[in-house]
Amino acid sequence: MTHLGRMYRWAALVTLLGMSACLWGQQRFPPPEFESPYKLPATMNPLPIPSWQEGLDVGLLFAALSLSAWIALKARSRRWMTALSIASLAYFGFYRAGCICPIGATQNVTMGIFDSSYYLPATVVAFFVLPLAFCLVFGRVFCAGVCWLGAMQDLVLIKPVRLPMWLQRALGTLPFVYLGAAALLAAMNAEYLICRYDPFVPFFRRAGSFAMFAAGGLALVLSTFVGRPYCRFLCPYGAMLSILARVSWKGVTITPDECIVCGLCRDACPFGAIEPANTPKEAGE
Amino acid sequence: MSERDPKKARMARRTFVTTIARIGGLAVLGGGASALMAAKALEHRAGPSRTVWQIDPWKCTQCGKCATECVLDVSAAKCVHDMVLCGFCGPCFGFFRPDHVSLDTGGENQLCPVGAIHRKFVEPPYFEYTIDEKKCVGCALCVKGCTQFGNGSLYLQVRHDRCLNCNECSIAAACPANAFIKRPVENPYVIKHNGRDRI
Repeated sequence: MTHLGRMYRWAALVTLLGMSACLWGQQRFPPPEFESPYKLPATMNPLPIPSWQEGLDVGLLFAALSLSAWIALKARSRRWMTALSIASLAYFGFYRAGCICPIGATQNVTMGIFDSSYYLPATVVAFFVLPLAFCLVFGRVFCAGVCWLGAMQDLVLIKPVRLPMWLQRALGTLPFVYLGAAALLAAMNAEYLICRYDPFVPFFRRAGSFAMFAAGGLALVLSTFVGRPYCRFLCPYGAMLSILARVSWKGVTITPDECIVCGLCRDACPFGAIEPANTPKEAGE
Repeated sequence: MSERDPKKARMARRTFVTTIARIGGLAVLGGGASALMAAKALEHRAGPSRTVWQIDPWKCTQCGKCATECVLDVSAAKCVHDMVLCGFCGPCFGFFRPDHVSLDTGGENQLCPVGAIHRKFVEPPYFEYTIDEKKCVGCALCVKGCTQFGNGSLYLQVRHDRCLNCNECSIAAACPANAFIKRPVENPYVIKHNGRDRI
């Protein structure tokens, strides 16, 4: 046998021994017994975010929803509403990095219904249900002053253009398609669509891939001249809220007796929410 | 008089229907949420509670994706050192580059690209290695060295002071070894010296 062949045989033997040591989980180098009074330093294991934090989140969400309802219906102050949405953006958006959120909680609740082994925290259910319940009573107060994704778009809105009604109606069907797809994928435990394509979450986390930042930047640029494009034409939670808002108890309304049908409000609304059919033209005549 | 007004009567019917829908909606929301929570409470009576992401160090192949795939800018997965398993080797395979010039703490000799491993002399021939977690980026180079040639006392763990516990962990989605597991929130870490069956 040549010298080279013997070397190869040794190498193979050593490799095999090494592999078997791996399999048995043996320690190749036994831990030393120290002569000096040396103590092993403890391995630090930082604990997860404490659960009181999530309880606090639910409490703050409830408080913000109540405040938003009061500002919209009683104080009727755009300035206070902006202040509330900035505060909400600062806490839920930038401090809590946009997670936990009612929009994404839709998927967790869907998964909780379809997958019995999935543990569904009560805080997630509260985040999903609270804005919907408030919507049934006071209208979409979550969108108005609490939603941090909405606040991002509102704050960069400089010069809103009015989209033609046919375009608004056509794009307005997208949220329902998105909601259906997201619920289906979550039920199959295949993908978290809403979280993956959240355009603003890279800003909240201040981290993300180039594609995520590019998509978020595009959404922000679009928001400067189209009022809340994500909310109106993509947000799956908004789709649910828009249905519930139709039967809400209170809501911001135009008092027919005082309306002179000047159309100024319709022209001023950056979101095209005041439709011609809603102006009480027929009622006045 | 106002009851006779047909327009008012139509409004009243509309109000009635929306009231029914509203109360029904609130009942469905409240009832559905409580039913769901009750069902979950029954299912998880003795079972696992809330879970968080973790890495099974015996499945981990030290591919390096933990450093790059996390949604956080510096990954939430970092190296931890189980001192009980450590051999305190002088020529540590997790500390020194394979092509080191000499066995000292010179930067050209260190495997760690960010210098997050501190080497301290204890007594001949033993050295203590500790991880500076603030610096660690989770690249797993030291883990690879230690696992392949040493005792495997260095291993990656998801650090839960930083992990956002995303619905879909983006490292888990990219992990070629399927090494990401869910651990109960009360006990989120794998202590390697406790053995694999204790996972």
